[in-house]
Amino acid sequence: MSAYDLIVVGGGTAGCVVAARASQDPACRVLLIEAGPDPQPLPGVVADPKRQQELVLESPYVRMYDVDREDGSSFPLLSGRIMGGGSSINNLAVVRPMACDFTAWSAFGGDAWSYDALLPTMRAIEDDPDFGDDPIHGRGGPLHLERSYRLDDAMDPPVRALVAAAAELGLPRCDDLNVPEPLGVCASPYNVREGVRQSTAVAYLGPARDRPNLTILADTTVTRVRLDGGRATGVEIIDDAGGARSVQASRIVLTAGVFHSPQVLLLSGIGPREELERHGIDTVVELDGVGRDYQDHAVVYITFQGTTDLREDYVIPKVRLIARSSPEAPDPDLHIFMQPSIRMEGMPPLLPVSIRLLEHRSRGRVRLATSDPADLPIVEPGLLDHPGDRAAMLGGFRLVEQLVARPSLAEFYGPLLSPGPDEDPMEHIRSSYISYYHGVGTCRMGPAADPGAVVGPDLRVHGVDGLWVADASVLPTVPHANTNLAAILVGEIAARQLAGA
Amino acid sequence: MKLEGAIEIAASPEAVWRVLIDPIDLAACVPGVDEVRQLDPQTFEGVVRASVGPIDGRFEFRAVRTSERFPDDLVVDVEGTDSMTRSRVLTHVEAAVVEHEPGRTTLTYRATVTTKGRLAIIGDMVLRATAGVMIGQVTRCLRGRLEAAAPAGPKDR
Repeated sequence: MSAYDLIVVGGGTAGCVVAARASQDPACRVLLIEAGPDPQPLPGVVADPKRQQELVLESPYVRMYDVDREDGSSFPLLSGRIMGGGSSINNLAVVRPMACDFTAWSAFGGDAWSYDALLPTMRAIEDDPDFGDDPIHGRGGPLHLERSYRLDDAMDPPVRALVAAAAELGLPRCDDLNVPEPLGVCASPYNVREGVRQSTAVAYLGPARDRPNLTILADTTVTRVRLDGGRATGVEIIDDAGGARSVQASRIVLTAGVFHSPQVLLLSGIGPREELERHGIDTVVELDGVGRDYQDHAVVYITFQGTTDLREDYVIPKVRLIARSSPEAPDPDLHIFMQPSIRMEGMPPLLPVSIRLLEHRSRGRVRLATSDPADLPIVEPGLLDHPGDRAAMLGGFRLVEQLVARPSLAEFYGPLLSPGPDEDPMEHIRSSYISYYHGVGTCRMGPAADPGAVVGPDLRVHGVDGLWVADASVLPTVPHANTNLAAILVGEIAARQLAGA
Repeated sequence: MKLEGAIEIAASPEAVWRVLIDPIDLAACVPGVDEVRQLDPQTFEGVVRASVGPIDGRFEFRAVRTSERFPDDLVVDVEGTDSMTRSRVLTHVEAAVVEHEPGRTTLTYRATVTTKGRLAIIGDMVLRATAGVMIGQVTRCLRGRLEAAAPAGPKDR
């Protein structure tokens, strides 16, 4: 008899959801394994949203993956190496995928992935004190969210100017960011309760920690899934002290995230034969899609001379502009943030604006660097490889130029400095883009006949019994939104599938 | 990150070169430099300050001239460390001067900037934003100092 009924591999955003939901059944013995630490009580730098910059720039809970641009320059991708994963280090925005995302996912996963089918689940996740009584929102769910700033609040002059400038360009005020198709100036909701970050380690795992049928192993890496005759039977693990052993279970769920779920599959002999042979790994199940189809959101900063020194407490970053990169874009495909100023003695204040493209037509990949589980996988994100993505980003660039030229914002924004007047905007885009840290797609969903699919609509790995993937890596297209809520949604879907399996 | 460009100055190549190899003189034209000390003929160190939103950064840097052959081979490697994340910023700069008409010099430069550590998360954005402005400030300052000191030449174009 197996020691556990379910092993959850990775205590990230989705893993905490799966472990918490599955352990609601007292008869289900659940083991949650996280490679990072599980500090209790939660350190202030993680719990306190006001310490976000310190968390990302100084804490030990962020892992960096260096990736290259076409010109040889590099930038980092990030993941959370702590219980709660990305939800423990992200900027806490609670943003639903748009209706168009569910339409796209339904093409791969059928009607069960449609907006209408998943709306009850999205409502059940939320505890929204502002819109909870609205038919599309929820109250009483695990994820409490707050809006520290509402568009009805008294506006600081820069926000008032942004709202006015956007309105002149036909972009309205949008009080609820999580309607099926948001557009315009939106105030972001955040998963915070009384000043404490509501990661899934807090919101989901917190109430489940004392259950006798839930075991949590932190600082422990899963090195591979054990397979026996096409069935997953357990995992091999190694703790931070180097102790290795195997643990048996009747069902295994990979929730190690967009970089490490495909890594674990590959190390287990599940993936493209050529890739496995390159690293001397025996092919157990040939699945070409493992590690393929990486998608993300590209971000480009452009910087204007400030006409006045807007200090760090100015409130424009509390709102975002959701817009289309061109009138022909079928869906809103941009997030635009007016960023805090940069100051250096002897220089005028600089005001950056970030343009975040919410689509990714090209496809990147994740592959093994070596067959050593301790080595980080190699990520080739492929951001902006596709001319359509570059054109859309340029559309965003032009939109921002129009925006800051409106009289209301021109009071704050002077001439464009980066890129300078002699620089080609497209060259600036190609040489300076970074990531919004919203990777998906490396174990994507699709029917078994789809050669690029890794899991089916029920999130089971094709060709392997007893093995699921349940994190953002299963999403076949990157949502037009931050991905934390989408990952929670996948966790909820997986928990439901597992309950019926 | 790669930066390259050319600056025209109404001064002789020798005069421009003299400023480029004098760290104290050059630092006086660079915004944000808090202090600079020459350690030996090829090495100097100092501090630069910058703020990005809520983050106040202090960079300690050390610069080493690794090649210095007038007029077309000046190479400087700069390594900076920020006070907050202890990330490293490595900058390799190559510069040359050429007299394109009597009394007028073109200074060409090429720089590669690499950020190692957490600062890379925001560093590239900040460096790009500040580099262009900083180069503009340095250019104006150099012109001001050199052209004031130089004998009257052809009018600036």
